[in-house]
Order: sequence, then structure tokens, then C-alpha cells
Amino acid sequence: MVNSGILRTSAFGSVIGESSVLAPQSESHKRVVNAELLLTALIDAFSILVIFLLMSFSSTGEIIFMGKGMELPKAAQGDLLDRNPVVKVEEGKIFLEDKEVKAEDLTAALLEVRKKYGETHPNEEFPGVITVQGDRRLKYETLNGIVLASSQAGFSDIKFAVIMK
Amino acid sequence: MSRKHKKHLDFEVNLIPFIDLLSTCICFLLLTAVWINVGALNVKQAVGGQASEDATKKPTLWVQMAGEGEISLDVRDAQVPRELTKLVIPGKEGLPNFEGLAEVVGRIKQSEPALTTALIQPQAVSVYEDIIELMDQFKKSGLIDLGVSPL
Repeated sequence: MVNSGILRTSAFGSVIGESSVLAPQSESHKRVVNAELLLTALIDAFSILVIFLLMSFSSTGEIIFMGKGMELPKAAQGDLLDRNPVVKVEEGKIFLEDKEVKAEDLTAALLEVRKKYGETHPNEEFPGVITVQGDRRLKYETLNGIVLASSQAGFSDIKFAVIMK
Repeated sequence: MSRKHKKHLDFEVNLIPFIDLLSTCICFLLLTAVWINVGALNVKQAVGGQASEDATKKPTLWVQMAGEGEISLDVRDAQVPRELTKLVIPGKEGLPNFEGLAEVVGRIKQSEPALTTALIQPQAVSVYEDIIELMDQFKKSGLIDLGVSPL
């Protein structure tokens, strides 16, 4: 039964061997080459790859989207990134959850976010956490507006998004 | 039952569907994998974040970022030697001297192990990367409660 199995029946003849001038292996001299692949090793390698990829699978990348040319600062002591309202500074513009907001309207927009949270989570305390995403070359004067606005809107905890070293 | 009628028990598992499944899994995971590990540095508002009754006198390190990478340290409400109370760490080629800072903060922390709070006062021209590096350095040194003050 083993000999008639699917792995045994697949024979590959060598095209070069058949057309060789010096030692033609065609017709009567033709040697049947049974190619038997060692599938156990292949499956082992595949399984290890799948396990590695599953272990390194991270969903935190979905929380923030980095535009072209944006480089986050690097830090070694960072914590895990949670799902919080994200304020992004890109090309001098401020975005709250990917919606452009004027610097002077940021406090009102954050207050609106807080109000919505209160409506959707009536029995929960407002966490007051915000994630700030900015390019590493930014000057603090740009970030200062966000720090002030978040403070005024009651977001006392700021999480600066970083690339983990 | 005679020997020639004995049924052969060897069987061959068809591995092709299993390989197909693994290949599909690998392709999917490779395509959806996020190779950049994004984290967050947690910071509290330095000024006005606490209620007055909570504002007990905790040992605090005030850090002022000046121009040319200069960093001024001011240890308040802590039992540290006088020479460590107020310190200025000059910059190195226009950038903050983080090695020097780590060494000084280590000495302060040795004198006052209860010191866990650092409040950073950046300037308008302070670079975001330097502020993050400073916070990272403080976290490494055991100053886990970090705050940043607005201008």
C-alpha cells in the first residue's frame, strides 16, 4: 500500500538525462527517478514558522497609523499602548482620531470626546488618558498646545507613542 | 485466518492539505504582521493635576531643559547632600548629556531612594525626541512618576 501511495507514484524524469549525447538515458536505458520529498522536516519548519509568527503577532499597530515620513521617538522603558483617543501632529496639523482639528478647537473637541465617553459608559469613571503621536523632530511649542488642551479637557494622563528599543 | 488474507495495516497520511493549511497560515501571518513595536511613555500633568489634599510634600526632582542641551536639576523636599540639591549638566555638542545625567540621577537616587517623581519643564525649542529620551532615562533610574509642564 505504501508503494502505491501518492508519494511513490510521482516520478520525475530528467530532461537533461534523456537528451544527453555522451550517456543517453532514454528508452531502454532510462532510469526511473522517484523523487521522494522529506515532508516531515518541511512540516516541522512550517510549524515553527507559524508558531513564531503567532507569538510575535501584535495588534498594537492598529491603534496608531503612521504617515509617510513620520518617525516616532525611541524609548526602552515604554509600556503597552492601549486604546485611547489619539491626538496626532503631522506636517504641522493636529488630528484627533484622524480628523483634522484646529489648535484652538482642540479643547472643545476633547471635551466632546469626554462627553461621548460619559454617554456610552454611564457607570464608569472617566479614565482621562490620551495618546499623543508626533514626529521625533517636533519642537515642544507644537506639543504644548496639546498638553494644555488635554489638561483643560480633563485628560490628566498623557501617553506619548514611542517605538520600543 | 490464513497469513495471505491478512489485511495490511500500514497507511499513509495525506500531508498535502496540512502543508496547504500551514502555507496559507504563514502567508496570512507574514502579510498581517506588525514588525514595529509601538509602546507608550506614560506622563502626568505636572501642574494642576492633583487635588490640594493629595499634594503632600513628596521628594521631587524638577528638571529644566535649557538651550544648547543644558539640563538643570533641582531636588526638592528630599534628604540629599547639599551639592546634589541644585545641579546643572551642560550639553554635549548642543545635545543633552544623557550619560552625565544618568550618573547624577543615580547619585541622587542613592541618597534619596524615596525619590520617584520627576517633573520636566521643557522650553519651546526643546526637541520632542530629547524630552522622550530624558523621560526614558529617568524611568531607567527608577523615577517612575513623570510629569511634563506646559510652557
